[in-house]
Amino acid sequence: MPQLEQVEFFISQLFWLGVFFVILFSVLTYITLPKIRAFLNKRDDFVRSHISKQDELIKKAESIIENYEAKLTEAKNQASQIINDAKDEALHESERLLKATEEKIQQEIKLTESRVQKEKEDALSELNTQLKDSATDFISKVTNIEKGNINL
Amino acid sequence: MAKGESPLKQFEIQPIIDINLFGLDISFTNSALWMTVTTAFILIFFTAPFLKSKKTNSVSDLYPSRMQVAAELGFSFINSLLNDTVGKEGKKYFSLVFTLFMFILFGNLFGMIPYSFTFTSHIIVTLALAMGVFIFVTILGFVKHGVKFFSFFVIPGLPIYMLPLLIPIEIISYLSRPISLSVRLFANMLAGHTLLKVFAGFVSALGIFGILPLVFIIALTGLEILIAFLQAYVFAILTCLYINDALHLH
Repeated sequence: MPQLEQVEFFISQLFWLGVFFVILFSVLTYITLPKIRAFLNKRDDFVRSHISKQDELIKKAESIIENYEAKLTEAKNQASQIINDAKDEALHESERLLKATEEKIQQEIKLTESRVQKEKEDALSELNTQLKDSATDFISKVTNIEKGNINL
Repeated sequence: MAKGESPLKQFEIQPIIDINLFGLDISFTNSALWMTVTTAFILIFFTAPFLKSKKTNSVSDLYPSRMQVAAELGFSFINSLLNDTVGKEGKKYFSLVFTLFMFILFGNLFGMIPYSFTFTSHIIVTLALAMGVFIFVTILGFVKHGVKFFSFFVIPGLPIYMLPLLIPIEIISYLSRPISLSVRLFANMLAGHTLLKVFAGFVSALGIFGILPLVFIIALTGLEILIAFLQAYVFAILTCLYINDALHLH
């Protein structure tokens, strides 16, 4: 096995291992790793600052939504108030109109009734005079009494 | 596989440039070459996407490019690994765990390229890494707790007469940590690559029926890539657990 037979190269292997390990370790420790770390930190900082900014914006958005909702409820209340008012008014108006119309009709009925009554009375009185005349005529014819002397 | 060539030949160290320093042979070998490739790749992969610093300060610089996402993935993977095992104090040891994980991971993965060399298949390399972790963790324990660190070997809530038996066992298990850590990685890499090579030898030997081992190799390569990742992960998570032990004792 060359690993155990080539003893003459042990020192050389150890020497070069030491050299390269030290070079690698030093360059990585003092140049490479700080660079990588700085890069990662920069990005982490960026992300962190954006997360806090985002939280602020979310809070702002929430307050805006709250505001909006409050305004919306207010507007809805107002709208329903207006609708109720309008309904009431319309109801009143229609009632008023109905009442007025009814009154008018009532008046009309009364007027018509009185006219009918008057016409009826007129007719009756005329009938009465006619009856009286014809009765007078009949009596005068029967009794030969002058018409003017008969008083019924 | 050439005739008579051992499947273990792939693990042979071949010097590329002979270097001799104070009588020590520190030749630049194929092992060192692939360590170079791994190191260079990791550094480019993780650094290059973040070099262009756009200073427009607009939202668009926060969008990661594809390469940045890939690098970030590795970063956050180790980050969550440390967070889950050690907790918040683990941040200090991030670059250590990250370096270990990436070095082993890409060492293993580049070893899967044909004709390349897997430096993690050498016990001396894995043992050195494991010993490094072991020594670091032990020193960390002493720095954090001083002499109280020895109470780590005493399991709380145990009757006194059991202690003479259990303390040596605890000490042995503590000392065998670097061995288990290194042998696990080394043996996995060794076994996987050897198995691939053995079956690759069957492909040419069986002629037309060589299609069967070929299919097997393809499936096995997928498994080896999984193991490459898994072993790097195991090494990293055990390092995290050892750090956690050193920080919190029990």
